[in-house]
Amino acid sequence: MLDKVMIALKSIGKNKNRNFLTMLGIIIGITSVICILAIGDGFTKVETKGLQDHNTKNRVTLSFTPSSDDDTTSGFTRNDLSVLEGITGVDHVKLTSVNPEASVTVQHQAKKSSAGLNKVPKKLKLSEGFGTTLNTNDTSDIFISKDLADKVFKGKALNKRLVINDNVFVVSGIYKIGDFSYRPDIYVSKTTFKQLFASQISQDEAKIYVKSSASKKRVSKSALNEMKKFGEDAKLGKYGVSHVDQITKSFTKTLNNITYFVAFVAGISLLIAGIGVMNVMYITVSERRKEIGIRRAFGATSGDIRNQFLIESIILCVIGGLIGIALGYSLVSIINHFLPFKAVVTAYAIVMSLSVSTAVGLIFGFIPSNKAAKSSLVGLLKEE
Amino acid sequence: MLKVNDIGKTYGKFIALENIDLEVADGEFLAIMGPSGSGKSTLINILGLLDQNYTGEYLLKEKSYKDASDNYLSKIRGDQLGFVFQNFKLLTTYSVYENIEVPLIYSKQKQANKRELVESVIKKVGLEGKEKNLPSELSGGQQQRVAIARAIVNRPNLIIADEPTGALDSKTSKEIMNIFTDLNESGTTVIMVTHDSEVAEYAMRTVFIRDGRLYNDEKSVKK
Repeated sequence: MLDKVMIALKSIGKNKNRNFLTMLGIIIGITSVICILAIGDGFTKVETKGLQDHNTKNRVTLSFTPSSDDDTTSGFTRNDLSVLEGITGVDHVKLTSVNPEASVTVQHQAKKSSAGLNKVPKKLKLSEGFGTTLNTNDTSDIFISKDLADKVFKGKALNKRLVINDNVFVVSGIYKIGDFSYRPDIYVSKTTFKQLFASQISQDEAKIYVKSSASKKRVSKSALNEMKKFGEDAKLGKYGVSHVDQITKSFTKTLNNITYFVAFVAGISLLIAGIGVMNVMYITVSERRKEIGIRRAFGATSGDIRNQFLIESIILCVIGGLIGIALGYSLVSIINHFLPFKAVVTAYAIVMSLSVSTAVGLIFGFIPSNKAAKSSLVGLLKEE
Repeated sequence: MLKVNDIGKTYGKFIALENIDLEVADGEFLAIMGPSGSGKSTLINILGLLDQNYTGEYLLKEKSYKDASDNYLSKIRGDQLGFVFQNFKLLTTYSVYENIEVPLIYSKQKQANKRELVESVIKKVGLEGKEKNLPSELSGGQQQRVAIARAIVNRPNLIIADEPTGALDSKTSKEIMNIFTDLNESGTTVIMVTHDSEVAEYAMRTVFIRDGRLYNDEKSVKK
């Protein structure tokens, strides 16, 4: 076997240029295969990780969209919750809100205005005032945005009083909202938020956890029907099934399209490569008729000859495959700079690529090799 | 060694061989002489089991291989026969060593034995130091020595040589014929085709072939 591999390598080395050109198709094909698999694997990895994080696998999300933009209170109620939990196949239901901000009315002197309010994040950069956050005992302190400060206080807002929904607070800090970020107008401490404002946030999302035995589709359908019939705020808006993984889905779709395209390119280039391999093997066989004759005269069976050329064709393709893998690997690390996730070249992809190149060599090398094996010996020995 | 009874071969209407009867004893050195186109090569292709397309009976070591499979014929050629061709027929991109090694690739020798066998025949034909050279770096006589070494590396019973001196000058021819004589003296049967009567003199016996018919002496050819 080693003998035959050496013979093949020698023969390939003899016609480097010709064989490299033949390999080019394989190289392109395998590079594409590696890239597709790497992106696909990387994406699957991210997606499955995401599924574990959010446990969306057994979850249906029902959303409520109010008919009026000003309506910030309607959504799912306690009664709706029990209706949803009564549907067969439902494990439990959680009510949440898409936008966890409370809509409040603020008043300074006689001037009233509406604003969005939320609990303070762990760290906030203030443009005026001290500190980075509000502690649990800072119940009367608030941070407000520069925009609100300008609107209500005409700029000078620090340490001034602001009435929010009939409660009095003191502005102890002002923050700027950057062009590309979103922040509410007012931040209060967590305790204050919980005590005074949490109840004002409409719960417009119902996360329905479905039992593993039940069908997600059926549960979401009956949940939707139940809400249309019995939902307490049914007249104020519309219910819908929202897909948490919609973005993922559309991305998957795009990715699939890209994958099909690249797979198509890979397939075509492997086919062309295969034809190239076949062609070059035909040339090799006819160039080496004398050699075949000599080997046959000295004991090589027709099987030996066929194997010799098959091995040569396979090695040619595997070398192309290896170059393709190396190229694909480097290409993947370049692509990774532009991808929102990390594409990974797995061992499976490498094994797969090597199998594909071996298969190309085997399939397209077979007919020429067989021709070599079946040539008449007397004819071969007349060759010079 | 071998026995041929009434062998014939035709290419379409052309009769290449007709009524050939020949017997070669073990250890014999036979020369087959004849002009070009007389059927010499056709006959030795049959004797060398390279051509199975003939009528009549051919027994090699009392066995007929007429119906043998292609693979079996390859094995017999590899184990029992050695060929030396007119134009050496060396693999031009392979070294002397690799050329001589060819028959061993297809035999079931162990790697260590192979090296030993190749080295011993290199010594026998006087090519020490040339192992790594390519055939193109050798003279005609040296190339034919490589071809002889390749033919004998598997220790065959029968060597079939087709015009082994055809491409060589008379001095080199003598050297090559001396190698054949040595081989024959050490027990190998040799059948050689030639059109050179000087070369044929090295053989124990000469038969003549003309228009596909075999004659035992030169006079009958001229009749």
